[in-house]
This record gives sequence, structure tokens and C-alpha cells, in this order.
Amino acid sequence: MSGFDAWAKAATDPGTAAGKPEALAGLRVIEICPGHFGGMVASSILGEFGAEVIKVEPPGGDPARRYAPEGIAIEGTGLPFLSEARNRRFATLSLDEGEGREIFRRLARGADVIVTSERVARMDEAGVGHAALSVENPGLIFLALSLYGSFGPCADSSAMDSDILCQALSGAPHIIGEPEEGSPPLPHQAPTRLGNWHGWFTQGLWGAFGVLAALRFRAETGKGQFVDVSGAEGLMKFADYNITWMHTAGKSRRRIGNFDPAVFPYTYIKCRDGHTFMAAYNDEAFDSLMTIIGRPELAGDPRFSSPAARVRMETEKALQAILEDWSQHLTADEILRAIEEHTSKKSGPGAAVVTGRVNRPLETLAEANWRERGCFASVDDPVYGNLLLAAPPWKMSFTPARLKSVCKRPGADNREIYCGLLGLSAAEVDSLSARGVI
Amino acid sequence: KPEALEGIRVIELATRIFGPATSDYLGEFGAEVIKVELPLRGDLMRYVAPEGFYWKEVSPAFLSLNRNKHHVAIDVRLPDGKELFARIAEKSDVLVENLRAGTMDEWGIGYRQLRERNPGLIYAANSGFGQWGPYSRGRASYDATAQAVSGMSAITGFPGHPPVKAGFWVGDYTAALFSAISILAALEVRRRTGEGQLIDISQAEAMIRTLDWTWPYAGLTGKDRPRAGNLDPVLPPSGIYRCADGFVAISARDAEERAGLLEALSAASGSAASAGEGLSADQVAAFSASRTQAEMLRAAEGSGFSAAPVVGGEDHYRDPHLRARGTVWELDDPLYGRIDEYGPVPKLSESPGRIKWTAKPVGYHNEKVFNGLLGLSREEVQELERKKVIGKWADAPGARPPVEKER
Repeated sequence: MSGFDAWAKAATDPGTAAGKPEALAGLRVIEICPGHFGGMVASSILGEFGAEVIKVEPPGGDPARRYAPEGIAIEGTGLPFLSEARNRRFATLSLDEGEGREIFRRLARGADVIVTSERVARMDEAGVGHAALSVENPGLIFLALSLYGSFGPCADSSAMDSDILCQALSGAPHIIGEPEEGSPPLPHQAPTRLGNWHGWFTQGLWGAFGVLAALRFRAETGKGQFVDVSGAEGLMKFADYNITWMHTAGKSRRRIGNFDPAVFPYTYIKCRDGHTFMAAYNDEAFDSLMTIIGRPELAGDPRFSSPAARVRMETEKALQAILEDWSQHLTADEILRAIEEHTSKKSGPGAAVVTGRVNRPLETLAEANWRERGCFASVDDPVYGNLLLAAPPWKMSFTPARLKSVCKRPGADNREIYCGLLGLSAAEVDSLSARGVI
Repeated sequence: KPEALEGIRVIELATRIFGPATSDYLGEFGAEVIKVELPLRGDLMRYVAPEGFYWKEVSPAFLSLNRNKHHVAIDVRLPDGKELFARIAEKSDVLVENLRAGTMDEWGIGYRQLRERNPGLIYAANSGFGQWGPYSRGRASYDATAQAVSGMSAITGFPGHPPVKAGFWVGDYTAALFSAISILAALEVRRRTGEGQLIDISQAEAMIRTLDWTWPYAGLTGKDRPRAGNLDPVLPPSGIYRCADGFVAISARDAEERAGLLEALSAASGSAASAGEGLSADQVAAFSASRTQAEMLRAAEGSGFSAAPVVGGEDHYRDPHLRARGTVWELDDPLYGRIDEYGPVPKLSESPGRIKWTAKPVGYHNEKVFNGLLGLSREEVQELERKKVIGKWADAPGARPPVEKER
């Protein structure tokens, strides 16, 4: 490969990031997202590129710190919060009273970006909404995250944004999981949520995207703006042809388990050590796969002779059985090797036979590849101890993203922020603290 | 209104989803995207058609990935094709590709070669396993490779049942969004410094980044996070429940919402709930089973917890809220006529995204780009056509324009 991989490694290895410049250096982000994970994601992404992020929690700490699967918390903070609290400074501030609101306005005056999951109406009422803040700071980019978005017939819904609601409205669970068979259907034959907080996560990613697009516009014009992101719509976007198919064919997708309505084979198959992904859906790739499994005659079988024939449900089921006849005797690694041995001699569409073991998280962690590429970071934090975290995924040659810190206690940076940034005296900070404003 | 990314030119050499979605997201906000395909067949995504269905000779699954793009067809495997491609890249701000790692470099049109001609180029190399490292060499990847190897599928689905693959290509789209975000960050620093860079993004690694508390949990306990079915294990009993006429998501994020939910359950069962009593998923399931979606939404509003219906594509298509927001976008395309699609996700007040036109046949914009942008003469273009360096669509569904009677 003429040494490109070695060159790319030298240029982008995250291990060499320290000392390189950061893409968003000098950008200040104020995050006010109590109880909300999507807002944390949006701010983390900007922070990984070098933005200075100040997380404003209610005095006593963000309710999201109490999210603790299996009750596991470290120093009062659960694992979801710790997984996404990176690269921040931590302030506390109550927006319930005028004094806290005035302090927030002063923070916003010096900020480039506000990230909030608070209701737009509540922020407006408190005098800290986009309209009020942008009078004093016309370059301000105001990101509002919510379930339905801030305008439209459902914008006033009383529902409190959460991952499960974003997922439900996105249309994702509708097309994930096993169809109903028999009556009554079994509990697992239901629209199925993605196991991680993918609704909240994509909401945050789209928020970061919107902020960066707005930043480009501000660089050209000096103008800030309001960026409105609905978490339901963020994940909805990934269900791609829902609308075009409805519009052109009047059809919509249903749940069909691990099958796929548009491409096949494109499925998980049983193997000796679990499951593995198997895809070979264009004609040339399908021919390759039939050769690999020792059934070259099936490439000419009229049942399987075109992409359209292969996506008929009865054909998908027949092919699934044929593939598993072969795969059940092999491990996922043996399957990968068999495919690579065959496809390494090919190029173009015939090489598009694609696999990959369905890893349990510990299996992913055991693979040296990810560690070599710096995907995980084991970080020792003075308060929260040793934590294993996902590192920023991008490898960039000039301005690598990076993980710089894990988390701090609520208000840990109050003095630095309120004295250093806003110029309050130590006595004023003590007084605010005594009165519960911070 | 103006567009946020006006003046940014993106050249795309990519197939299927990961690369095309990345530049689609940039194109929605005003970037000028030049999509380079091989002559005749073009992007193989053109032949990914749900249930084998083509509309006006185009797959509805291809449309939603390729809006606002200029389609040119260049055989980049030929020396003249490489040169033509490099000349467009010279005039571009961003390049997006998703070929197997190292392929572009082998072809002489990779980052190392192109940066010599355009040091400001931001080069997004999208791949399954990255541009370097043990898994990078020659290994192909699709969406579900990333779903599988990242651990996402293993934590999706029900206990006692196999891992579940999402029924849509979430491993491509999620990674494409990561890629588009990094391109915007790189554009920001280029504005200050003039320098471009290589961005290596693996779709598996993007998915790993999204698995929230999976990793610290594994680190602390040495255990795999179990599949939790439709219950959110962080905020129980939040989850998806069967109701009388479908499915509904119930959510209780804090103590107040949990109290509201408990109140609704107790009122229904006629027994006063004791404050210490926990909320169980079984209670919620029983409550929901006998009620319609509408009744559940009213109960949520009345008692102070949250709920939303579990909806699908047809519901989206008919939803006035989504149409009012342009999330379901009503497009009048010059070639295809009226076609509705999902619109831009973030709504920007001053420089909003928009869909201007949908995907086009292979090589549809050749003249515009070769004569216009590159300033080639008609004779030069004809010569390139004669040498099969550039070309247009194959006479086949997926590649060609609508036939006359359908226009």
C-alpha cells in the first residue's frame, strides 16, 4: 500500500495529539441542561474539538448525576453522567431568582454558544432566552434541544424530553425488532428501542452540527442565531427513505427482525461462537459468497438471481437457512478469514462480501485494534477514580480532538468562573453561596 | 434567507451511504457538492431499492442521500480521469470519500497527493475500521458491521433472545454525522490558519463513542451491560409498552414524574399507593395494556408524567407537525416533480437548511461542472467522452432519467 497506512498513523495517531492546535480554541460554550444527556453530548463534542465548556448546574448538582444504572454511583455521580462530563468546568447557579438570572446574563454576554434543554418559554420568561440574550450579544448562537422542537403544532407538549420519547417518535423502534407471530404475541415481538441512549446521543450530535454551521455563518456575517433541534427528528433522519417510499409507493417499513427490506443477504447469522454479520447483496458479491460457502450453483438459482428476487421475504428466510447451514460450524473469525481469503483476490463489486462479529462489549474491549487506535481511555481522576471512557473517534492530522478531563464536583469551578471570568469578589461569591444562588 | 455553508465546495467520491450522507448533510446547509460516480452504473446505492421498487427509474432509497448535489461521472481509474478529479479537488474545500483504506492513495488521488496541489483541502476519509491499524487493511464494512463490532447490537434487544440489528442503517448515518461535524470543525480552524487536514473516521469507532455508560460499566464491574429489552435500565420504568391499539413510550425522568406515574397507576387500581412503594414495569404494562395511545397520552398530561406514541414512516408522512417544521419537506424537483423527503434536522433561524433538488441520473451535471467550473471547451469534453474518461448513465433503472411518458 505504498506506506500510506504508516504515514496516516504518524499523521493522525491520537497518542501524538498533545501540543497540536485545537480546532475550536477560544470558543466559549455555556451548557444549561439539567437532567438532560443530549445537551451534555452536544457540549462534549464541541469540547473535544477545543471549545471551553462551562456546565451550569442547579445548586446541589445536576439531576442527571443521579442517573445510576444498577445503583452504581461514585461520589454521588452515576456512570451515564461520568461518561459525558469530559472537558468542562463546573459552575452552579439557580435561575429561580433574579440574582441568578442576572449572573447568567453576564455569563452569556461573554459566551459564543448557549446549549440548553430548558423549555424556550421558561428561558424567555426568566429573561434569559435567545431574544433577550442576543440584544446584548448579537453574535450569540443559542442551541435549544427538545423533544418536538420549539415551533410547530406539538411544540407546546407538556412531555419532558427523554431518550425513550425521542426514540419512540423517531420511527426507529417501529422498524427494529421481531414481528408479531401468533396470538397473543410474545413480549419480545415488539418495536424495540436501541439499547444505548441513541435518541439523546443523536440529538446532541445534531446540536453540535447546527452550532458549527451557525458558527460558519457568524464568521461571514457577525450574526448569531437560534438553532432548534428536536431529538425525535435527529434519529428520524437516519430512517432515510421512510418518506420517499411513502410518497412514491405508498408503503412504509415494518419490523422484520434482522432481515432487511432493500438488501439481502444483510443479516446476522448464527455461528459457533455467537452471531456474525453477513452481507453480500449486489449480484457480483452474492456470487462470491455462494462460492465461499461452497454452493456456487446457487448463484444461478432463479430464486436468488437478482437483488429484487433476494429481498422477497420467503427468499430471505431460505437464504438465512442456507447461510447458517454453513456458518454454524465456524467461528466468526473463521468466517472472516474465509471471506478475506476469497475477496482479497478480487476488486470492485465482487469483493463486497462483508462481515463482522456481533461483539459483546467485553469482546470489543479485548480486541487490540481499538486500543491501538486510541478509541478507549483509561483515566485516573482525583475525585472519581479510574474510569474507562470512549475517546473522541476522529483521528485528525492538524487539530486532533482530545479527552482532557473526566468530571468535577458540582460548583468545583465556581470561584474561578465567578471571580476570574465575571470579576466578582471572593466575598460576593461567598455571599451568593450562602444564599443558595450558587 | 442566506445559507450557512455558502461558498464551501465539497467533492465526493463515495458509494452507498457513509460518504454520500456526510456530504448530503453539508449540502443541506448550502455547501456545493460535486458527487463523482463511475460512468454508466454510478454509485451502487442506486440499485438498493426497497422491495425492488423503482420510481421514475430511481430508487427512493437513493434519493434521500443525494440532495442538492451535482452529479458527474468520471472513470477515476484512468490517468485522464484521475487528473480531471484532481482538478476539481484543487478547486474544492472538502473531499469526502469512503473507499477501502488506502485505495485513493494507491490511485494517486489520496490526501498525500492532493494536498500538494491544495494545502487547504479538508480530506474526510470515511471507512469501516480507519486508515491504519490491524483491522484497516483491505477490510470492507457496512452499517451493520459497525453495529456488530462496536457492541451496540449486543446491548439491543431482549434478555434471553439474540442481539438485534437495527432495521435501518444507523451505523452509516451516525458515523456520517460524526464525519460532517469534524469537517465543520476543520473548516473553522482553516478559516483562521489556511491549513487543511486529513480526518480519519471509522464507523465502528463512531458507534463505540455513542454507547454511553457501556464502557465505564465494563471498566468498573468487568461485566457486559445486559440487554434490557424495552425498559430503559437507567430511568425505569421508562420504556416502550404495548397498549390497546399499538405501542407507547412512557417516560419518568425525575421524582416528580415518577410520583405522577404512581398516582395514575394507583387511581386506576383503586388502591392508595404507599410512598415507599417502587414503580414496577409490570404495573405500567398492565395499566397500558387496556388503554389506547390517546388515553395514555391524556393520562400522562393529567398526572404529570410523559408519554409519546411509537410511530413509523407512515405516521411521519401524515404528521402536520413535521410538515410545519420542514422535517417532512415538500420538494418540487425540476426533473421528478413533487417528491417529499426528510428535510434538515437543525432549524437555523438566520441561515436555515433546505432541499433544493433531489438526486439525479449518473453524469447529469457533467456539462455544468466540466464546462462551467473547470472551463473545458465543448471539444475537450467530447474528447473525454470519446475516451470514456467521462460518461453518463447506463440504460437501466437506477441510473437513467425518467422515461418520457412518466414526466
